[in-house]
Amino acid sequence: MINTGVNKELTMSAGIEKHSGKNRFNLSPYLYIGPHLILFAIFFLFPTLYGIYISFTNWDLIGDPEFVGFVNYKEILVNQDSTFYDQLRTGLGNTFKFVLFTVPACIIVPLLLAAGLNTKPKGMKFFQALFYMPTLFSVSAVMIIFSMLYSVSFGPFNHYLNVETNWIATQPYAWITLVTVTVWWTIGANMIIYQAALNGISKDLYEAAAMDGANSVQRFFRITLPSIRAQILYTVVITTIAQFNVYGQPLMLTKGGPTSSTTVLLMYIQENAFGSGISIAGIGAAMAVILGLCIMAVSAIQFFFLRQRD
Amino acid sequence: MLSLTKKRISKIVALVFLLLMVFIWIVPVLYTMITSFKSEADIQTNAFTILPINWVIGNYQDVLFGNTSAPVAKWFMNSLIISVSQTILVLVIVSLAGYGYSRMKFKGRDAIFVFLMATMMFPAVVNLIPLYKIIDTLGWVNNYLAAIVPGAAGVFNIFLIRQFMQGIPKEFDESARVDGASDFQIFIKLILPLIRPVLTVVALFTFTASWNDFLWPSIVFNDVEKMPITPGLQLLQGMYALDVAHALTGALVAIVPTFILYLFTQKYFMESLSLSSGVKG
Repeated sequence: MINTGVNKELTMSAGIEKHSGKNRFNLSPYLYIGPHLILFAIFFLFPTLYGIYISFTNWDLIGDPEFVGFVNYKEILVNQDSTFYDQLRTGLGNTFKFVLFTVPACIIVPLLLAAGLNTKPKGMKFFQALFYMPTLFSVSAVMIIFSMLYSVSFGPFNHYLNVETNWIATQPYAWITLVTVTVWWTIGANMIIYQAALNGISKDLYEAAAMDGANSVQRFFRITLPSIRAQILYTVVITTIAQFNVYGQPLMLTKGGPTSSTTVLLMYIQENAFGSGISIAGIGAAMAVILGLCIMAVSAIQFFFLRQRD
Repeated sequence: MLSLTKKRISKIVALVFLLLMVFIWIVPVLYTMITSFKSEADIQTNAFTILPINWVIGNYQDVLFGNTSAPVAKWFMNSLIISVSQTILVLVIVSLAGYGYSRMKFKGRDAIFVFLMATMMFPAVVNLIPLYKIIDTLGWVNNYLAAIVPGAAGVFNIFLIRQFMQGIPKEFDESARVDGASDFQIFIKLILPLIRPVLTVVALFTFTASWNDFLWPSIVFNDVEKMPITPGLQLLQGMYALDVAHALTGALVAIVPTFILYLFTQKYFMESLSLSSGVKG
């Protein structure tokens, strides 16, 4: 369906090319970009548009979707008696909490690490490699490792701290656990980006500031931070988008608990569309659209806010 | 000039901080490695000895081949097939497209490219449910293709490769063309060898992303035999919930390929990040 659309466009542009009379229509560029455009249309563009459409249908993933207008949105946004209303509130609320807790940590911790590594200590290469490494592990492997580390009875964490905290099934520990795991797992990329940025700041700036009597804290806020603004903006936006899509950590570590206090929206979307019962893909799609809108709105605000201060 | 003693103090503070962090980052990895060589009996009786009393490799045999409801060796092979195939597919598709957008002149080229870039802002979560329907319609549920092909529709790698190609002087192409080379010959013989570094980066990132993908494969694979290892570990976790050594062995097996890849190609991972953030930032 989308394919023919693309082809039509191609023939149209071919026509224009002919009329301009410069040279004969050349098919060969489309042999290069065509394969990707076809895959892009089938597996990205079409499903994205279709995803918006089915949020207005009562689709069950099997039959033909039937258009129902704003029924799904009313159900999840307004109908307070509906379980889906509760799901959206809980899921979106927990997703926002997760973003709020993890994003600052995922900016500050790698920034500190990069600043530390920028003093070029012995063993720097090893430190850098180690901090980056977990980024290459899968979420499921990392969550198995940490569920064992944090385990109440046989986890070394409790043993060596000499406590009996139930890290995974009581609050606020469940949140603390999720945040620390996420920091451990994901800060590598941001750290490397900051390292490259810090490396690029001219030493003269610091020396001049030191001569003017600026202390190290002043130097950090007056020279270091402004110099790497672009990279901070980039990482804040990218990290926020990534954290909005949180799924694997609460699914495998806290199982969304205790009592759905860490169940994130993507877990409900997955459950409604692909879970064990009858699929309610229409509701799932409406939730996905809302999550998508939140992601776009928040990145737009961040972008605007952080760019503004130039 | 910063005074020498002040410099030395800040160096020491930094080092102490880094060593503390090193401890936090290394312990989970070492704990996993070491525990995978402990026997279950060892764990029951001497749970918290740092090193195993008897080093055993039985956990690996059990996890890899011993459990038909969590066939880790099979999952591992599935993942290998999927990740290698996707990497090859992405390299072909993306280098062709990058060449098209960077080197060829055609109507609407820049408009299409700008449109592709703009779609990167669309949140991927919206296409999750319809994508399943497409895969189902194609008959690809529980088929490797479901995990291989959709990933090649992405846009970011094209951006990266085009960016890199723009840095190659156009005079190279022109002189080759004067010598009678066709577009395709220029692409294969001239451009491809020159963009090897960025292709390596794309390959490494595609492979690791494919290997580590969790949500999507857990939706399109429900047949235990066909599953890749990353969603498979969720089943394994349920199975070995109270069996530390076996659960950790499974996790370790799953991270070995990307770990080894990283050991040999660290340089590329590091460079690529400054590459991709540098052009965006």
